[in-house]
Amino acid sequence: MSSVQSESGNEERGLNPADVQNVRFTRASMMRPGYVDTEVDRVMSRVAEELARHIAEKAALRDEVRALRAHVEGLPVHEAPSDQAVRILSSAQQTADAYVAEAEEFSRQMTSEARTVYEEELRQARETAGAIIQSAQEAAARMTPAGADVPGRSVEELEEQVAYLKAFGSAVRVQLRSYLEALITDVESEWGKADPAALPQGPPRPPAQRSNRDGQPGGATAFSDNTVAQPAEEDVPATAVSHSAV
Amino acid sequence: MDIPAMRANFAKAAATGDEAPLYFYSHLFLSHPETRAMFPVSMAHQRDRLFSALGEVVARVDDLDALVPILQQLGRDHRKFGTLAAHYPAVGASLLATLEHFDDQWSPELAKDWTEAYTLVAEVMVAAADEAAEQPAWWDADVVGHEVRAIDVAVLQLRPRARYDYLAGQSLSLETEVRPRLWRYYSPANAPRPDGLMEIHVKARDGGPVSSALVRRVGVGDVVRLGPPVGHIALHDDSDRDLLLVAGGMGLAPLKALVDQVARRGPARRVDLFVGARNEDHHYDRAALQRLEQENPWLTVTLAVSEDKISSLEQGDVGDVVMRHGPWLSREVFVAGPGPMVDDTVARLREHGVPPQRIHSEVFAPSRPGPSLDGEVTE
Repeated sequence: MSSVQSESGNEERGLNPADVQNVRFTRASMMRPGYVDTEVDRVMSRVAEELARHIAEKAALRDEVRALRAHVEGLPVHEAPSDQAVRILSSAQQTADAYVAEAEEFSRQMTSEARTVYEEELRQARETAGAIIQSAQEAAARMTPAGADVPGRSVEELEEQVAYLKAFGSAVRVQLRSYLEALITDVESEWGKADPAALPQGPPRPPAQRSNRDGQPGGATAFSDNTVAQPAEEDVPATAVSHSAV
Repeated sequence: MDIPAMRANFAKAAATGDEAPLYFYSHLFLSHPETRAMFPVSMAHQRDRLFSALGEVVARVDDLDALVPILQQLGRDHRKFGTLAAHYPAVGASLLATLEHFDDQWSPELAKDWTEAYTLVAEVMVAAADEAAEQPAWWDADVVGHEVRAIDVAVLQLRPRARYDYLAGQSLSLETEVRPRLWRYYSPANAPRPDGLMEIHVKARDGGPVSSALVRRVGVGDVVRLGPPVGHIALHDDSDRDLLLVAGGMGLAPLKALVDQVARRGPARRVDLFVGARNEDHHYDRAALQRLEQENPWLTVTLAVSEDKISSLEQGDVGDVVMRHGPWLSREVFVAGPGPMVDDTVARLREHGVPPQRIHSEVFAPSRPGPSLDGEVTE
């Protein structure tokens, strides 16, 4: 069923992670399909990882046992490593670092290239689809006789009206909002002018917008020399125009 | 303590570039092999960070008021790496050996000063770690949902096994057993929930070992580790100003958490959320946002695309789109996303007249392995 090192005669050696990684299952026949490949692959790679972890743990435990035994026998546990040992480990570490960096760089290149290709294909597919839909609509329009009127208002007319009402609604909402925002800003600034001492010192503890708890007598006079209309009139048309298309 | 002499000595080691940290870690691992498992396979970034951190400590050593909080934070943060009080002397011995190795004029006085200084640093860090001991060093969390939303984006649902307290808008560090000892920062996209579930948005960075693994290898049933929450995007209780939230790319997560907080805890306020992406495919959370908008009449969500000419969404950079709506003068503003997008949006809003103290921003870049000494999470 599989090709685990059965032919090579090293049964002495335990199963290692590479063996698990290298297992290849025979394809199931067309008539009797097997497991989903990706699921099997995932399990196998987890098994390999788990095995690697156990091997590492075993090594760590063996070290610990050795250290404890040395301790019991009264031998020094930690002796300062020699410069030579430090050098050897350092260069081993550098080698490992270089491999990891190389792998990451390779993966970075591969994924970014794959992504570029993917996005380009997708973009082209979208454009093609758009063109097909457009030509289909044109064809449909040609097939429908121009004068075939439905009694009452046509669907197109209704759609047009709906669109108009939507645009009108959103324009009104935008105008109203602009006006309210300007009003709030103005109230805030006039409130500060009328009674600067009431303004918080330094950075902010802004007045709560909708609560009246900060309202004070000076507020009314400040409000009467009203500048609210100005920003509102300036702001509204500009924003409204950019929105009426919604 | 002869601080100038210590600085001169440290400068000699630092001048060797990679050599001194390499020596330090090799020395540490050879004399205490059990510490090796606390570090990732590749030590390249680790070495950079060790000496820059040490350098900052040395630079601030005569300003204890500034140094102590930094060391306390470092001490607390090291708990998640499995650091124990017993590891500190081991590190100290290897540090001294390293400083000695790279200095021809090493003297018993220097050895004594460094021992004293290191003991002090270690004591502060250990004490801070001990104070935090009633909190877990890390939290195990089960992956209970994993949904790939775009070619390189996944939305994960995590359920911590123990109570995990955080604020909407904060970030947390996360480690997966698939990439041991590599911690990366992510922001939950929801406010704390009674059932503890957390939604995490992950974009696989090209060549990024952790993010790619979270998107493509981790699945339901896996376990991840969480570090304590950090970060500064947060709603303050003393204001009920209406909100303007502007997100670019993965900056959506913390802002979505703010929306969630308004929905769960109030106070009632109007919220406008703008989300920018390159094209429609990059709006990986569109359906969820539309659902939120339908459920909450106070919420308006506007999606924008900057490089998708045939999309029916709003066209343009998200900062540009924000300015087409508005005005926003009375709003409390939160901006999160990639650096250029954040800078652009903040500049436009200032020009528009929003007071700077009401604009809060956070740059979402590929996160670095740990917060810097100043507590910044992202680069």
